[in-house]
Formats: sequence, C-alpha cells, structure tokens
Amino acid sequence: MDTKEQRFKVIFQANSRKIYHLCYGYTGDSDSANDLMQETFMKVWQNLDKFRNQAMISTWIYRIAVNTCLSYLRVEKRQPKDELTDNIIETRGEELSEKNEQVALLYKCISKLEENERIIITLVLDEVPYPEIAEVSGISEGNLRVKIHRIKQKLTEIYNRYERF
Amino acid sequence: MKDFEELKNIWHGQAELPRVSYEEVLSKVKKTRLVFSNKLLLQVVSLSLAIALMVLILFKVDFRLDTSYLAIVIFILCCLFYLYVQVRDYRKISRSETLLEMPEEYISYLKSYKQARYILNTRIYRIYMLFMGIGFALYFIEVFFFVSMVQTLIAVAFTVAWFFVCYYVFMRMYIRKEEARLNEMIGNLERLKKQFEVEEV
Repeated sequence: MDTKEQRFKVIFQANSRKIYHLCYGYTGDSDSANDLMQETFMKVWQNLDKFRNQAMISTWIYRIAVNTCLSYLRVEKRQPKDELTDNIIETRGEELSEKNEQVALLYKCISKLEENERIIITLVLDEVPYPEIAEVSGISEGNLRVKIHRIKQKLTEIYNRYERF
Repeated sequence: MKDFEELKNIWHGQAELPRVSYEEVLSKVKKTRLVFSNKLLLQVVSLSLAIALMVLILFKVDFRLDTSYLAIVIFILCCLFYLYVQVRDYRKISRSETLLEMPEEYISYLKSYKQARYILNTRIYRIYMLFMGIGFALYFIEVFFFVSMVQTLIAVAFTVAWFFVCYYVFMRMYIRKEEARLNEMIGNLERLKKQFEVEEV
C-alpha cells in the first residue's frame, strides 16, 4: 500500500463516521447518506495532494462534505422518505430497539429543519468545536452561537412534539 | 420532555455505521475515472476522425467552386468548437477547487455553472446551427452544378426539414425541459444561498 493510500485510510477511519452523520442528518435517509459519504471521500482522495495543512484536515473534509451535500440537493431534492406519522413510528418501533427508534426519530426531526440548520446541528451533536463549525459554514462565530441556540430550541421542540405521539 | 442534552445522548448512542469502506471508495474512484476518460476519449476520437476526414476532403477533393471549400472550413470550425466546449466542460466538472470554497460561494458557482450550460445549450447551439446551415447552403451551390435541379431541391428540402425538426421539435422540447429544471434548481440554490448568507442576528 503506497503512502497516499495509507494516509487516506487513516483519514477515512478517523472521519467517516462523522461525515456519515452529517450526510444522514442532511438527507434524512441512510442510503443517500452512504452515497454522499462515498462521494465526499472520493473528492477527498482526488484532492488529497492539494491539502496544505493550512486548515485542520477535519475542517477541510467537512467543507467538501457540506458542498457535496449542497450540490446533491441541486440534483435531486430529496425529502425524507417517510412522513412522521403515528403509524410509521409504531411499525418501526416493532422493528427497532427503543434506542434505535429514538435515533431514527432524531434524524427525522433533523430533516424537518432548514438545510443549513441540519448541517450546523449535526456538527454540534458530534461536538465539533464552534470555531470549526463557523469555518465550515462560513458564518461568523458570534452569529453562529445565536443560530445554534435557536436551532437547539427548534430541534428539541420538534422532537418532543413527535415523541408525544 | 427531553432537553437538548438528552438528544445529544441519543445521538451518541447511535450504533449504525456507514456501509462504505475505504477500499470501496478507492475502487469507485478508479472505476469512475476510467468511465469518465473513456467517454471523453470516445468523443475526442470520433470528432477528431470527422475533422481529419474533412481536412482530407478539403485538400484532396477538387471542388469547382470556392464556396464548397468555405463550407468545409465552416464544418471543421464547428467540429473544433464543439470539441473545445466538451473538453472545457469536462475539465470544469473535474476541477474541484470550488469544492473547498465557503458554502455561499459554492452555491454561487453552481448557479453560474448551470446558467452557463443553459446558455450553451440554447443560444450558442442556435449559432452553431446557423453556421452549419450556412455551410450546407454554400455546399449546395456546388451540388447544383453537378446534379439536376430536382435532385438539388430534394437534397435542400431534406436538409432544411432536418434542421427544422432539430430546432423546432427536439430543441424546443429540450429547452422547455431544461428551463423547468433550471428554474427549480436556481430556486433551490437561491433558498440555500439565503440560508448561508451572513446575517445580523
């Protein structure tokens, strides 16, 4: 295995999960999330030589992932496949453990947010530092803090509304 | 009632992992590159052959009128232009520096790229057709001297009909479809751009 492949493997292993979460939060379904994650890392591989350490590698990858997500919506505006209905939550509940069900519900609630809110909140949930989120989204840190506060409230409200069903 | 911290705990409890491995990414990169270069290669080769054939005609065939030579030169230029546009756009697509720009700038890039493609497929296509039409018209002057009037008229009618079908049927259909797609895309991009614009909060 050559050095580039080795480097890529390390980067992939360190970041793939978080990028998958970001893509899942953005699209609302796991198949699309896998497609987007694959596309993101293909671009990471193609541009790996251009990475000059001027930024953290994770920030660099997040930027690629965010832009890949944005262009994905351009190609096909995907809506979450299922609407949140009592019926679906009930049926899914039989298939999934309670924990998984809660995760699925959380993703569904994230998909109800605006696109940029989905990106920001998945990064917050993954505990990405605020300066890094500001760098990735192109929003100033001050504005970002206010935005995050609003999105947290919005997401909690949506979640609690659906959980009551 | 759950607060945000509890949602965070749920988030961190998720067990589902991505189904894509790094080996799969690498094999997809190689496969895509191959498909991409094969497609480009096929277009470049076929267009180069057409250009070579026309250059051969230009130098080997003894036309009676200069208008025929001019027609061939116009055809060659049309092919060269098409080849240039295809190669330029493929390079533009594969160029990925824009990927590293801020979302707001990236969205602007997507918008301008889409608009440029639309202009190419509509306005520039019209100019392309116009030149091809002029090329055929010039060539038919020579044809008129070699074959009967009826045969010339049949050839002219057939060519004009084909141009009309291309322009008024296929092109109109394409433009209508493309316009609807473009408007939807631009709408989506505008909405996304607003979300990422720096706002005073």
